Amino acid sequence: MSKWAGILFVGYLVFAFHALGPRASAQPAPKAPQSTGAASSNDSATLDYEFFKTRVEPIFLKKRPTHARCYVCHEEANHALKLAKLSPGNTNWTEDESKRNFDTVSQLVNPGDPIGSTLLRHPLAPEAGGDAFHSGGRQFESQNDPDWKTFADWVRGQKVK
Amino acid sequence: MTRNNRVLALGMLPILSFFVARSAAAETSRIYVTNSAGDTVTVVDPVTNKVVQTISGIEVPHGVNFSHDGKQVYISNESESVLDVVDQKSGAIINKVPLSGHPNNIAVTKDGHNILICIASGPGALDVVDAASMKLVKSIPVKGPLHNVYVTPDGKFAVAGSVAAKRLTVVDLSTMQPAWEVSFDGGVRPMTMDTNPDGSTHRIFVQLSNLHGFAVVDFAKHEETSRVMLPKGNFGKEEWRMGTPSHGIAVAPDGKTLWVNSILANAVFEYSLPDLKLLGHADLPVVERPGKPASGAVPEWITFTPDNKTVYVSNSATRSMSAFNTQTLKSIATIPVGEVPKRINTLVMP
Repeated sequence: MSKWAGILFVGYLVFAFHALGPRASAQPAPKAPQSTGAASSNDSATLDYEFFKTRVEPIFLKKRPTHARCYVCHEEANHALKLAKLSPGNTNWTEDESKRNFDTVSQLVNPGDPIGSTLLRHPLAPEAGGDAFHSGGRQFESQNDPDWKTFADWVRGQKVK
Repeated sequence: MTRNNRVLALGMLPILSFFVARSAAAETSRIYVTNSAGDTVTVVDPVTNKVVQTISGIEVPHGVNFSHDGKQVYISNESESVLDVVDQKSGAIINKVPLSGHPNNIAVTKDGHNILICIASGPGALDVVDAASMKLVKSIPVKGPLHNVYVTPDGKFAVAGSVAAKRLTVVDLSTMQPAWEVSFDGGVRPMTMDTNPDGSTHRIFVQLSNLHGFAVVDFAKHEETSRVMLPKGNFGKEEWRMGTPSHGIAVAPDGKTLWVNSILANAVFEYSLPDLKLLGHADLPVVERPGKPASGAVPEWITFTPDNKTVYVSNSATRSMSAFNTQTLKSIATIPVGEVPKRINTLVMP
């Protein structure tokens, strides 16, 4: 093997490790609906429906101290993030509603690129790298917020363990 | 009284006067701030410019207004589509009045008998809640979802604006029926009014979507007569607010000046009345962002102390409210409040 071939091979291994990640590469291919409209910056980062439904979606309904819930403003809203209205009496979305939410939210992310995703940048405090203004406020004070990290994990392609 | 005692007494006079004046003023007015992306309403003492009360448990509060006797605070609650009634002293929610739809801003009739609530969902309506029974007694149909509502200075009419329908509707409060309308080329945002010498309404100043300024409506003619453009600015794009360049407009209590927020200039501008000459401006705070240019405060609303000396601006992007001296336009205080402060209003206690 020539010197250059060795460098390229090692580079490929480093890229593959970071792009897929040990957890992502260990998961089976997703069977749920996939994002079709979001531009991809990383072909290997696919958006997992089960991870969205079980980990991401509950954050939209979560009451964070001193903050309004995302759902209150984004329920059938005239925003890019238009969440399905909960059926009367329900405290969570039905399967069909969750799939609709997955399609909607997938349009707001750039797979593999959390900070390049509107979903993560817009509600993040501007002082922490977020957009200048979100009418829903600083939902995440920093990129270390556990819920922000959950969003980021989903965008990076993480799947349910 | 010895000489020393006289000196002491004279020396104490300014201090005593300060405390008497402070006590009287502190007990007569409060500034209320709805934190629209939170679940609280912040109450500020305009003498100290400190937070003296926080009303909790109202998720996405929008408008705030007061009962005639000052003992109750009315707050429209977007998350539950109710009008929350709050005990002014304790800050406790004492009643929830179900509304006909999703509410936005509110107003109270001059006699204090009715609370008017903009319904921003469905076809739109102006809900009327009877202040004595605390029941929804009427839903006045209008053309388009409503955003803000005001009672004219003479108390005879309500003026309600629709962003979606690009229209303002004037409601005759003696009949509780729409009387006339004016249509615009942009959504109707905040409004305010000045008066004729006899106290009747002279003009409505109307902020519109996509207009960095305001339209002037002649109340007698029922038509727009002119537009005033604000000085240019470089903010708004990063804040995603180019469609709402100017939000928040109010006539000072003495009726001599008009104050207008500019999101694009990140400032509040003062105009003379009735001639609408620009008198000056005060700059608003900025948001420092790592590796990026500072962004603006995204001013939302305006209110005053009843003595006309201080103007307040809610800064929705900085979790703060600015207080300026109306004579010097100098900053008096920047008061930390809650998440995305929206409407602000002054309670003047009887």
